[in-house]
Amino acid sequence: MWNVFIRIKKRKVYQNFLLILLLVGAVACDINQKEILPEDGFLKIYNHPAEHLAYFPESLVELPGGGYVFLSAVKDENDEVEYPYTNLVRTTASGEVSWSLDFDWRAPASQLVLLNGSVGFVAMNQNFDAFLILVNPANGEITSQHDLEMSMPLFAYADSQDKLVVLGYDFVTRSSWITKYSSSYQVERSNKLPVNTDLEYLVQRHLNKTGQDYPFFIGEYTNAPGTGYSVNCFYNYTLRTVFMEMTSLDATGDIYSFQTEEGISSVIQKDGNIFGLTSYYEGNNYIVPASELNVNTSANIKDLPADPLYELTYRAEVIPGNLDLDTASYTLFVSQTNDNSMVIYQYQKDTEVLVNTLYRQFDQRVVVNEVVQTADKGIVILGGIYILGKYQRPLLIKLDQEAFLPEEE
Amino acid sequence: MRKSKIIGVFLLAFLLNACLWSQSSSFLDHLRIGFGGGVNTAQIAVLQTYNVFEDLTGTAYMNEYTGMLQNIGNQYFMHVEWFNDYFILTLKPGTYTYRFNKINEVVFNNETTTQETPYLLRYMSIPLEARYRFDLQRFRPYAGGSVSYSHLLSSNDPSNQTFIRSRFTAGPVAGTYIDLRYVILDFNVAYHYGLHNVTSKTNRFETGSGNTFAQDDILLNGLQINLSLLFSLQKQKHYSNVECFY
Repeated sequence: MWNVFIRIKKRKVYQNFLLILLLVGAVACDINQKEILPEDGFLKIYNHPAEHLAYFPESLVELPGGGYVFLSAVKDENDEVEYPYTNLVRTTASGEVSWSLDFDWRAPASQLVLLNGSVGFVAMNQNFDAFLILVNPANGEITSQHDLEMSMPLFAYADSQDKLVVLGYDFVTRSSWITKYSSSYQVERSNKLPVNTDLEYLVQRHLNKTGQDYPFFIGEYTNAPGTGYSVNCFYNYTLRTVFMEMTSLDATGDIYSFQTEEGISSVIQKDGNIFGLTSYYEGNNYIVPASELNVNTSANIKDLPADPLYELTYRAEVIPGNLDLDTASYTLFVSQTNDNSMVIYQYQKDTEVLVNTLYRQFDQRVVVNEVVQTADKGIVILGGIYILGKYQRPLLIKLDQEAFLPEEE
Repeated sequence: MRKSKIIGVFLLAFLLNACLWSQSSSFLDHLRIGFGGGVNTAQIAVLQTYNVFEDLTGTAYMNEYTGMLQNIGNQYFMHVEWFNDYFILTLKPGTYTYRFNKINEVVFNNETTTQETPYLLRYMSIPLEARYRFDLQRFRPYAGGSVSYSHLLSSNDPSNQTFIRSRFTAGPVAGTYIDLRYVILDFNVAYHYGLHNVTSKTNRFETGSGNTFAQDDILLNGLQINLSLLFSLQKQKHYSNVECFY
């Protein structure tokens, strides 16, 4: 009986041998990993050894030949000028520093623009006059500078036609000041939106990084009524998103909230009249993943159906962005949470379906400042982190597009 | 977890087959079984560094691992070996635990900080050793080589996710048998050289909430010192200080 059992088991040896071969194949797959290059995904924190410096990351561009340039406002507590100066850092495609240069231009306005092969930023001199500074990305040398004939720049934007559009604040007329420039950086069109109250002190505190950081921005939309800009600025006593016709810069409609304490933190056009937006009011952050907006009317933010985002920090900065992959397109909202995480809400672009929520937790407080889709269809996030819980420094995270692909069931 | 179970089932099936095959041959006469344990010191060889910190002034920050003498781990295993007059084949399946620390430095003008992150990697390993032995009666020194397959066991440490599960090693072994009549001691020293990168390239930044660093591409090497207690399944002979044949 025992010998019969042994003979049967001998035959089974061959079957087991085959199974072991399969197991060896699985192990080989584990060891022979897919090669992931450093530029496919990385995390870099950029430190400066001077403790008295605080870096406020503002904006990032990917260079056409690979690599990144990012801009920070640097607050030096030993500086006699209260407004932060400008720092540009050029990195390789894997995030390693190529050069880092400081510029004596103050309160650089988000965001960096790529114009005719140069990297440009808008900042002001000590008299609050706005200038466009163009820099050679190869070595950081200033190639030209242009007086923008406006004051207190708050945001700069290069539109789809490579035209520069700048939001500023005119403290004389107490107005938000939106100007569009020609390709030679001459004023092409300008409009002032009256605030009707003196907010110069709030704007100064925003610029010198000692007060509330307001979510000023300029976006662009194209839909049935035409093309235009969505400009988040002070207007008629409140912080509101104003829709402006692209050529005339006439205000056509807006979304408003309560004075300057509440407002919209981001807007992105998804399709036609469908927009995604985030806001903060009554101490909480909210998201409207997709809602139909009429850019020719004035609407209250509270009339839009919104979902609360309790996990985000108080008056969180939220950066929207489009993610176009080979298989699908998504809308991303990137922000930071109360437990020191960066969070990415990934929505289907054509619906309000939340596909995925990605977190990256840190041991210190982080903030998010810019999100850019890269040429290889990944995304890179510019943010800030408090190293050792004390020193504000910029960080870059590059995520491969595979992070956003739906998981196979 | 499921993968570990599958490997366990395969291992058991293999051992069962070997035992059954031995029933029908003289295999048992050349078999010794036992158990053992020992200590190891992990040696980390960096293939490619992935330092998270970049200094804007160009200073390079320290990014390294603790040395061998600080990386003391341990192992416990079953010991099965087949031998003839000169050669010995040894299997030592068991748990092999490696410890080491990663050291990162962040430099400030008045405050340079060193972050030290401990790792504990526990593997289920199956080392296979081929030994050539010399017979000096009570002492029987040997030398040979070893190859080993290891499977990293899961843990709650998030940094565990930054490593792949499989690991192959190879290296020289040397030691001696000490014949104590009823039992045999096997004192064994082996160096296991990692044959491939053990870092998971897709998860190198998943170092957990408390750690702001990236996992480098590394080889996990290790020096092992083992002591096994073996029982022979053959009839006892040559097992005394006094040469006594019967």
